[in-house]
Amino acid sequence: MEIRENLLYTKSHEWVEKLNGKAKIGITDYAQDNLTDIVYVELPEIGKEFKRGEVIATLESVKSVAEVYAPFTGKIVAVNEKLNDEPSLINSSPYDDGWIVEMEIRNEEELEELLSAEEYKKLIE
Amino acid sequence: MKTALYNLHKELGATFTNFMGYEMPLKYTSIQEEHLNVRNKVGIFDVSHMGNIFIKGDAEKFISKITVENASKIKSGMGQYTLILDYDGNIIDDEVFLHIGDEYLFIPNAGMHEKIHKWMEKNLEGNIEIKDVSDEYSILAIQGPLSMEALQEILRIDLAKLKLFECCELKKEDFKIEFDGRCILSRTGYTGERGYELYIYPKENAINIFEELLERGKKYGIMPIGIGARDTLRLEKCFMLACNEFKGGRNPIEAGLEWTIDWNHDFIGKEALIEFKKKENYEKLVFLKCLEAGIPRQDDEVIKNGEKIGNVTSGNFSPCLKTGIAMAYVNNKYAKEGEELYIKGRKMIKAIIVKPPFVKRGEC
Repeated sequence: MEIRENLLYTKSHEWVEKLNGKAKIGITDYAQDNLTDIVYVELPEIGKEFKRGEVIATLESVKSVAEVYAPFTGKIVAVNEKLNDEPSLINSSPYDDGWIVEMEIRNEEELEELLSAEEYKKLIE
Repeated sequence: MKTALYNLHKELGATFTNFMGYEMPLKYTSIQEEHLNVRNKVGIFDVSHMGNIFIKGDAEKFISKITVENASKIKSGMGQYTLILDYDGNIIDDEVFLHIGDEYLFIPNAGMHEKIHKWMEKNLEGNIEIKDVSDEYSILAIQGPLSMEALQEILRIDLAKLKLFECCELKKEDFKIEFDGRCILSRTGYTGERGYELYIYPKENAINIFEELLERGKKYGIMPIGIGARDTLRLEKCFMLACNEFKGGRNPIEAGLEWTIDWNHDFIGKEALIEFKKKENYEKLVFLKCLEAGIPRQDDEVIKNGEKIGNVTSGNFSPCLKTGIAMAYVNNKYAKEGEELYIKGRKMIKAIIVKPPFVKRGEC
C-alpha cells in the first residue's frame, strides 16, 4: 500500500497536497483498495464552500458507497472532470490522475491537525 | 472459518471479506477486471464455503420428497438444480445435487450445510445414510468460455464429451498432474458461462490443482476470481443468492422458480404451494435495469407513483452493461416487463423491469 511522504492525511483516508494557498485532495491507496472498483463519482460545484468534515464528494464502488470529507474549511476551486468519464482513475492512480478536488485554504492552522505520512501509516496498520 | 486455500489466496494478493462465516477472497486485482475475464476468457474460484452432503442407499424416494424434483428422472452421471422447501412451501435452500454412481452429492449454499443436514435427518425415510462432509472437501469452480481448454490441461478425459449438468468421478489416472484422493467433476457453475466444478478430497489436494490450473492455464488467460466478481457475474445472469433472494421466507412462485417443480410427484411444501397459487395478491421477484447513474443496494425501496411497492434483494453495478442492476420483490400487479419505477436508496434511481437475464451469452 503506497503512502506518499510529501502528503498530509486525514483519519478518514483523504490525502492533502499543499500548494500555494490551495490544496489538492484525493483518497489514499488504502482507501481505494478497500472500496474496490469505483464506478460513479459525484463531484461538488466549483465555488461552493465547505466546512471541515462536510461531505465534498461521493464515490460509489461495486462494493459500497463512500463519502469524501473536507479535510479543512475552504472553497472548491477545481474538480477533476476526468473522473466523470473514468472514475476508475481513483483506483489506478489515487495520488496523481485520480485526484478529486482542489480547495482554497481558509485557515492554514487547520492543516496542522492533519496526519503526517508516518502517523497515517500507523493508523492503517 | 478459512478454506484450505486461504494461504494461497494470501500469496496471490487477495483482499479478504467475511461471507457467511468464511474468510473468502473478495478480489485479487479488481472486481470488474476479474468479472470481464470470466466473461471473455476463464477464471478459477475457490468455492469451498459451499457444503457437501452425501446420500447413500435407497435415496431416490427420499430426494423426491425433500426436493421439488422427481429424482427418478436424474440418472447416474447427471446433476440437477433444485429447491428444498419447508412445510409452508418456503425455500430453505436452492442447490445442485449430483447423482454419482450409487450416491448423491448435495451442494448446499455457504453456511447452510448444517441446517440442510438436520432437515434431511428430520425427514428421513427409508434405508439411507446421510453424511455431511463439508469440512473435509474443497470445491473449485473453473468458469468462462475457455474453461474447457484450461481444465483439459490437467485432465486426460475428453471434456468435450461432458454435457451441461453431467458429472463423473475422476480417478488418479484421469489426471495429468499428481493426484491422490477423491475428485468429482460436474459441468455446472454460477456464472452463466461454460464451466466446471471440482469436489476434492482431502481438501488440501485443491491447493495443487489450483496452482497447476493457474500455471497451465496461463495461455488461456486464466485468473483467480474472488467472490466480488462471483456476485456480479451471477447477478447479470439473474441467478439467486439464497441469503438475499430467499431471506425471510420466499416460495418458488414468488421467486419465479416454479419451473424447477415437477408437480407430478409428492414433495414437502406441495400442499402449501397449491394453496398459495390461489392468491391474487403477492410479491414477485423482478429484474430491474437502471436508466440513470447509481447503484441499487440490498433493502433499497422500490417506488411507483410515490408509493412503496417492494424492496431490493440484490443490487450492484453490471460490469458488462456499465449500469446498475437489481433484483427486487414487488407487488405482482407491477411485475410486468417494461414497467418503469424508482429505486430509493441514497438517491432516487429510475429503473425499468426487464426480462432475465440482464446479459445474454456472448453479449459482453
